[in-house]
This record gives sequence, C-alpha cells and structure tokens, in this order.
Amino acid sequence: MKGLAKGLAVTLKTLTKRSVTQSYPEVLPELPPRSRGVIALFEENCTVCMLCARECPDWCIYIDSHKEVVPAREPGARDRTRNVLDRFAIDYALCMYCGICVEVCPFDALFWSPEFEYATDDILELTHEKDKLREWMWTVPPPPALDEHAEDPKELIQARKAVEKAEKAAAAARAAAAKAEENP
Amino acid sequence: MDLTPAPVERTPVDLPPPRLGVLSRLAPDPVRLVLNWGRRYSLWVFNFGLACCAIEFIASSMAKHDFIRLGVIPFAPGPRQADLMVVSGTVSDKMAPAIKRLYEQMPEPKYVISFGSCANCGGPYWDSYCVTKGVDQIVPVDVYVPGCPPRPEALLQGILKLQERIAVENPAARYARKLPAAALGRPLVAPPTPPAGDAR
Repeated sequence: MKGLAKGLAVTLKTLTKRSVTQSYPEVLPELPPRSRGVIALFEENCTVCMLCARECPDWCIYIDSHKEVVPAREPGARDRTRNVLDRFAIDYALCMYCGICVEVCPFDALFWSPEFEYATDDILELTHEKDKLREWMWTVPPPPALDEHAEDPKELIQARKAVEKAEKAAAAARAAAAKAEENP
Repeated sequence: MDLTPAPVERTPVDLPPPRLGVLSRLAPDPVRLVLNWGRRYSLWVFNFGLACCAIEFIASSMAKHDFIRLGVIPFAPGPRQADLMVVSGTVSDKMAPAIKRLYEQMPEPKYVISFGSCANCGGPYWDSYCVTKGVDQIVPVDVYVPGCPPRPEALLQGILKLQERIAVENPAARYARKLPAAALGRPLVAPPTPPAGDAR
C-alpha cells in the first residue's frame, strides 16, 4: 500500500512536468558546438602536407595531389612549384572520430561539424570525397569567443596595422600636396 | 566413472533457403503496401550490444530520444521474436559465430543495422588479429550508421533510412539475393583517374 502511494506520487510529480523527449525527425536537435559529428574540409586552406593522413591512427584519409609549376615572375628568377589537391576523401566507416587530423592540421583546413545525418545502406558511400567535405564546411559552428581582455586575433591586429599604415601614407601624401600648392 | 555421455553421431542437415510462397509474389500492390507499412512501424529490435556503442543504443531507447516513437520496440524477448538486429560494437572472431547463429534464428523478414565504426568495418581495430572487419562479412547489413560511437540521433536517422527502404521493398527483390554475405557483390574499387597533363 505504501509502495503504491509512493509510485503514484512519482507519477503525479512527473505528470506536471514537461516531457524531455526530443522529436528528432521533425525538429532538428540543438547539438553543442563541439560535437564530433563529421570532419569538414576547408579545401582552400589545404596545402597537401599529408600530416593528417600520416597521423590518422586508422589510415582512413585518402589524399592524392600533383605538383604544378608556377612560372617565375621576373626574368632570371626560379620557377616555383605548388601542390594541387586532386582527391581528399575520408572513410567514415573506418574513422574513429579521434580528431587527431583536426588537431595536427597546421593550416586550419579541417574542422569538426555537428552534422550526423549520413547513414547509408552501402558501405562504399561512407567514403566521402572533398566536394561533400567542403559542403559540410557550411555547417561548422563559429569558433568560441575569446576570453575577456585577451589579445586580439593575429588577423585583426595585422588588418588594423595595415589600415593605420595606409592612413599615415595618405596623410603624408596630402601634406606633401598642400605644401606643393603653397609654394609652387 | 565416465560422466560424459557417449557422443551421438549427428549429420548436419542442409535446410532449404527461406522463401515466400508463390502467392506472396503474386500479391497485388495494395497488399504489399499494407504489409510494408506494417513492417515499417513495428520493428521489434534486438540489440546485439558488444561495446560502448551499446550504451548509445540504450541512450536512444531512453526518454530523451525514445525510438518507440518511430515504432522500434526494444522489448523483444530474444532473436526469435525480433525483426531488427542492431549490431553495436566490436565483433570479435570469437563472437562472429554467435551473431550468425542468432541472426539465423530471427524470423523473416529480418533487418540488420550496423551501428558504429567497429561493426561497419573494424574501426580502430582494422589491423587486429582477432576482430572481424565488419559485421557485413557474416550477415547481410541493411543500414550502416557511421560514428565512434554514433550519436543517438544518428541511430534514429539510420532507423528512418531503414524504414524508407522497407517502404519500397518487394519480396521478389528481397529474396532474389543469391550471394552469401561474404562474397564480393561488386567489382573492386577502381583508382581515381589522374587529371589531364599530370606528370607525376
């Protein structure tokens, strides 16, 4: 009898609360920004250094590339070479989602995205090529905000310096022009 | 005193492959539609939990994700009452015969979801001496869910994918499968063609 009353009390208590169930197929879940859903590739940043492919514990990253010759800009200078990415594929059937590739990438070309809807009925379709990885780049959340009183990011500092320099040059040019007008 | 009874000579009997009768192949489309609709939303699931992925499976059966909403019922008393097997975790070579056996105990029509990298193709144990490189080497898999472990939402999406497949299936196509699961069903993957003018 006591147990029944206790059970009913629990029922009553939860009856007044809202349900915690997420209605997934209708409403997309709000995943935390650091979720390890899928690895996205920012292709423009990739320099084909192969660090990710070499550090991958599963060897699930496939990279193909070739070298292109960039002709010298001035006569007498040396021709330069440049790596061009032909294929970048990650086998998500094999990937263990450790994120080592994201951490070692020295040029910030790999990112975690919370996307998770890519189950298939064919295991070969789980090897995603660079086009698909680039598409996932749009789902990558913005990086976390910096701490208060932290130094600004390098890019911002450089941009600010460039603006200051340009302003200074413009002011100097204006002053020179004014001087030239005063005593021609 | 010999407690072990004398071994009885038993010869293995080859059972006929499962097939449906002539009538079901001739069943008109509306009947097929009703059958598929029924199968789709009453998947009694049997969790073959072998590693950490099983925890995610349990999470998706709990209140927050609750896949009973999708008609997946996790109370099958055993494989003989189940329609769907979710292999979640590392399939070791020692466990493989048990999986095969329990799969064969399931009644037709039966479906398999391979949940997580280990069950998909070995995952972190891709070079191990004792891990089966993918459960699809021993049983036919319908849907592969990637992740290590996958999120519970990923399993829900895998289930939706399976339901889509069930909705369009017809018995003739389903039982036409002749090849064993381990046989190569397609030619080897061709290497990508290098771009024109590539002097490597």
